[in-house]
Amino acid sequence: MFSVSQDFAPPFKLISPFFILGAIFYLLSVVFIFFISTDNLSMLDTKILSFVHLFLLGFAMMIIFGAMAQLVPVVLEVGHFGVELFYAIWPLLSIGTIMMAFGFLSYPMLLPFGGVVVLIAMMIFVMEIFLTIKKVKKFNLVISSLLISNIFLFFGIIFGLVMALGYAGMVAVDINALLKGHVFLVVVGYIVVTIMGLSVVLLPMFGLSHGFSKKPLEIAIASVSLSVLAVVLSSLTGVAFLAYVGYGVAAVGLLIYFYFIYTIHKTRARKEIDIYAKSLIFAYSSLIISLAFGLIYLAVGYEPLLLASAWMIFFGFFAFVITGHIYKIIPFLVWFERFSPLVGKQKVPMLADMLPAKSSSAQFIFGALGVVVVAVALLLEDGTILKAGASFLLMGALAFVKSVFYMINYREGISQ
Amino acid sequence: MYTKEELFLAISTVIDPEVGFNLVEMGLIYDASCDDEGNAYVKMTLSTKACPMHQLIQQWVKEAVQKMAGITSVEIDLVWEPEWNVTMADEHVKKALGG
Repeated sequence: MFSVSQDFAPPFKLISPFFILGAIFYLLSVVFIFFISTDNLSMLDTKILSFVHLFLLGFAMMIIFGAMAQLVPVVLEVGHFGVELFYAIWPLLSIGTIMMAFGFLSYPMLLPFGGVVVLIAMMIFVMEIFLTIKKVKKFNLVISSLLISNIFLFFGIIFGLVMALGYAGMVAVDINALLKGHVFLVVVGYIVVTIMGLSVVLLPMFGLSHGFSKKPLEIAIASVSLSVLAVVLSSLTGVAFLAYVGYGVAAVGLLIYFYFIYTIHKTRARKEIDIYAKSLIFAYSSLIISLAFGLIYLAVGYEPLLLASAWMIFFGFFAFVITGHIYKIIPFLVWFERFSPLVGKQKVPMLADMLPAKSSSAQFIFGALGVVVVAVALLLEDGTILKAGASFLLMGALAFVKSVFYMINYREGISQ
Repeated sequence: MYTKEELFLAISTVIDPEVGFNLVEMGLIYDASCDDEGNAYVKMTLSTKACPMHQLIQQWVKEAVQKMAGITSVEIDLVWEPEWNVTMADEHVKKALGG
């Protein structure tokens, strides 16, 4: 008999702040776009760095960390080492993110302090995950991927802190040289590898997919992990060739991963295209478009392509993978907390009943339109189109915030 | 004391809140029996090992059987072989899922 794990659903009050803050930071990131000019737009522009940290730390990391509080016991089949530690993570991550965003904008002295606060938040998270993984007796693909991604995160934040000290003028380091390593460790090494690892659990679970091979995912995770090592080595040694090898291997790994996702999609029993399925279809399409832009950039060197590639992976892939899963995770947690004790005593809602149909659709439609329009604006370097895209995104972000609060406050049918 | 069909009927009150179908029509209940002393046995699976409702669903099955008169104990045997797939579900479930 298979042993079932404990603590599959930590208290909702522990996880809900991550989702609420994540949604608010997403909204703030979108508002930020209105203040970005397309003139002399560059990846190293301080406004862009501020925006990227607001989005990645405040939204992407915040929601991933909150989701991990619930998903880690599910995928590892062991209880958390100390789930209460998550109470410390969201306040620290929020404060650190705000300090870093302001630091990049106009107060460089705030950067090392914000960086340290973020570092503490992430170290608590990483150590808690490591100590939870230590309880696992038998490793599988998912557990290995979580271990790899958290090791990358550990080094990614060390790189980030050194860079923050450099920006503030406290240490003399070549920030440009470290940047590639930092970006690859955190964005590809942590966020992408985490998504890859969890997708083998979550996508088949929600789609009822069976009979697909996990081999492509193993190859994809190995390739992407090797690509991170190559880029980090290039960052430390200055050997540019290694970075190009890394980019190429990452592209191959992601293409194999996309093929793997396609096999899950083809073998799913649930054919319904709900908000979850729509979000994932858009997310994975964005990943492919991002890869195409990135590869063309390597060939022609036109920087707007690199910006559009980063845009598609951040706001297209990451954002829609995350928001799509929010529509599954929050209803489950709320249902588990409020309705599961009522099973057999009164009529309880299905998880699908707890979704806000109108605001989730509005979030998807306006958000997706916004992503596409902003990508066009970046490619054409057109400020007016950028504002138009930001307007769509703002509508989508407001709808997303509304959806999150709707699901969190869902109590329909509970007799007092 | 109870036939497999009677036990299945009792378990069919347990609904998976994610898909909205009961466990019997999903094909997740493989076998059930009950001896004359009221000791019931249910062999079941879940659609995925990573199901976060693992424990809850087993508890609901146990409670559904315990509600039957004369039941003294319920043993749940959660198995992963044969692995569940949608072909094990009733026709109307397959149709509703689009499979």
